[in-house]
Amino acid sequence: MWEYLVRRTAQSLLTLLLISIVTFGLIHAAPGGPATMFIKPGQSPEQVARQMELWGLDRPLHIQYLDWLGRMTRGDFGNTFRANRPVGELLWPALKNTVILMGTAWLLSLLVAIPWGIYNSTRQYGISDNLAAAVGYAGFAMPAFWFGIILQVTFALTLKWLPLSDMHSMSRRGEFLDLLRHMVLPVMTLVLINLASYLKYSRASMLEVLGQDYVRTARAKGVPERKVVFRHALRNALIPIITVLGLDLPYIVGGAALTETVFNWPGMGRLFVDNAMAREYTVLMGVTVVTAFVVILGNLLADILYAAVDPRVRLTGKGVTSA
Amino acid sequence: MSTEPKAAAPAEETAVLSTKPESLGHQVLRKFLGNKLAIMGLILLLFFIVVALLAPYIAPYEPAKVDLLSSNKGPSAAHWLGTDNIGRDVFSRLLYGSRVSLVVGFSVAAGAVILGSLVGSVAGYLGGWVDTVLMRLIDVMLSFPGLFLNILVLAIFGSHFVYLILIMVFTSWMGVARLVRGQFLQLREMQYVEAARAIGVPSWQIMFNHLLRNATGPIIVAATLNVGGAILGESALSFLGLGVQAPQTSWGQMLSNAQQYMLVNPVFAVYPGLCIFLTVLAVNFVGDGIRDAMDPRQKIHIPKGRMAEWRARFSKSRA
Repeated sequence: MWEYLVRRTAQSLLTLLLISIVTFGLIHAAPGGPATMFIKPGQSPEQVARQMELWGLDRPLHIQYLDWLGRMTRGDFGNTFRANRPVGELLWPALKNTVILMGTAWLLSLLVAIPWGIYNSTRQYGISDNLAAAVGYAGFAMPAFWFGIILQVTFALTLKWLPLSDMHSMSRRGEFLDLLRHMVLPVMTLVLINLASYLKYSRASMLEVLGQDYVRTARAKGVPERKVVFRHALRNALIPIITVLGLDLPYIVGGAALTETVFNWPGMGRLFVDNAMAREYTVLMGVTVVTAFVVILGNLLADILYAAVDPRVRLTGKGVTSA
Repeated sequence: MSTEPKAAAPAEETAVLSTKPESLGHQVLRKFLGNKLAIMGLILLLFFIVVALLAPYIAPYEPAKVDLLSSNKGPSAAHWLGTDNIGRDVFSRLLYGSRVSLVVGFSVAAGAVILGSLVGSVAGYLGGWVDTVLMRLIDVMLSFPGLFLNILVLAIFGSHFVYLILIMVFTSWMGVARLVRGQFLQLREMQYVEAARAIGVPSWQIMFNHLLRNATGPIIVAATLNVGGAILGESALSFLGLGVQAPQTSWGQMLSNAQQYMLVNPVFAVYPGLCIFLTVLAVNFVGDGIRDAMDPRQKIHIPKGRMAEWRARFSKSRA
């Protein structure tokens, strides 16, 4: 187990390192590089050179990269070019807001998808199952941001039940109920995206387990159907779902970025989109690395949990082998 | 799911009578044509393709023609779906938008399939450290939100249409590569591969002539599903202002415009989104239809009524 843990963690760190190199490389491969941020037309070469020196952009690339990496491990993401503010000041509140939004949506979609998927697996091709299939098709084919806009038009503009966008009303900053009211529409949007895949996987996973011999044995020896489904089948069916939760993470993060933009939610996704337009490289690099870190951590946790929960998975130094 | 192909009973009876067994392609085609959702999707997709091809002939106005005097108008005889904030005809813009979506959808899918097949076949056929390195690369690519990478590249290098397609190809080939690798791992142990190798067929020919051809089925399915993903991706990027730029039109761009003027005219947000939704839905239905038709393990779903009829006619123990 320990060997597997260490190996898997090392892999994750390597992945993170690669992503940081790619991000850094991309930004410095851009025509003009980060310098285009502050060079104004009409500046003399000496002025430009002084600016470059000031931001440390005159040093060799690998030194710049190592410096950036080293400072990042200490939580220093550098300053923004325009306002000269520490990137961390923008980044951490945004991360918190994204976690609030995504976490709620994620929990809610699991709470809906797993029981519904279980129900559908016991009544295949019933009304509920077909409805879930329809939800799945809609969720996979609908642009998330469009669904968000439709919700805004319906519930905020037409019915006026809920606020249109933002995280707080101007006068009620910090009130919990106000936050809750602002969360309803973006959470609904995210739940629809998540539901499509979670429903499909929980149903498929249950169906697979319900078809296995030990379930037949349990039924044959007279175990009540309720107990067969919830005690015998569900436990094993949940295991593959854990992996899917980990693998789906990048997809959800992407969806969250769009949803945040639609609802003007001050999270990581919106921070990234806004600063992409403004070409604030330090912010872009910071957000990319932090997002990658969160996603990779999620994947790692899912893998470890998977290995811990399933007794059939034997851990060897070489990775996971099924017994 | 209700997408399972329904078995056509008469066709099966004739299959028994004729001496020659039904060819595989014929079988797949029959199963596909028996799938209502797939046919619906195909018709819808063909409709959008025709619209995209004929857009200049159908569109009543130039999609980028600004007419500030008649801005934000509701539907009328002159402008079927009204005009937007600077007086552009919404209907004409929708028609032209279908071109962008379909071109991006199909070219990204094609690119992803080519790149993915290449990487997947090399990894699957050669195995060893090449395989390990390539699979690690895929893991890295998969653990990174593709949308963020797309935004990053387009923001840095500028939003050219070609860049848009290239970066989307670059962030969507991994699924196909994994699939092809999996197929190759199975297929390379086949005896015909051994035979080919024994008579001295070069490796690249075994890879592309023997193995890849046998993996065509799953690749086609993955490609269709990629088309839908690419259309959604383009709309997202254009919505964020990083995809297709004005004066060109795309559905995603129209949506971002519609959201800005939501207070003035909320209906404009409906049309482009509905178009994206229907196109992707159509592509996904077709993809699922092909998958179901080609999967020999796919159980045939017999409606309860027909099953009861069959029981009543053939079962010996009558209940």
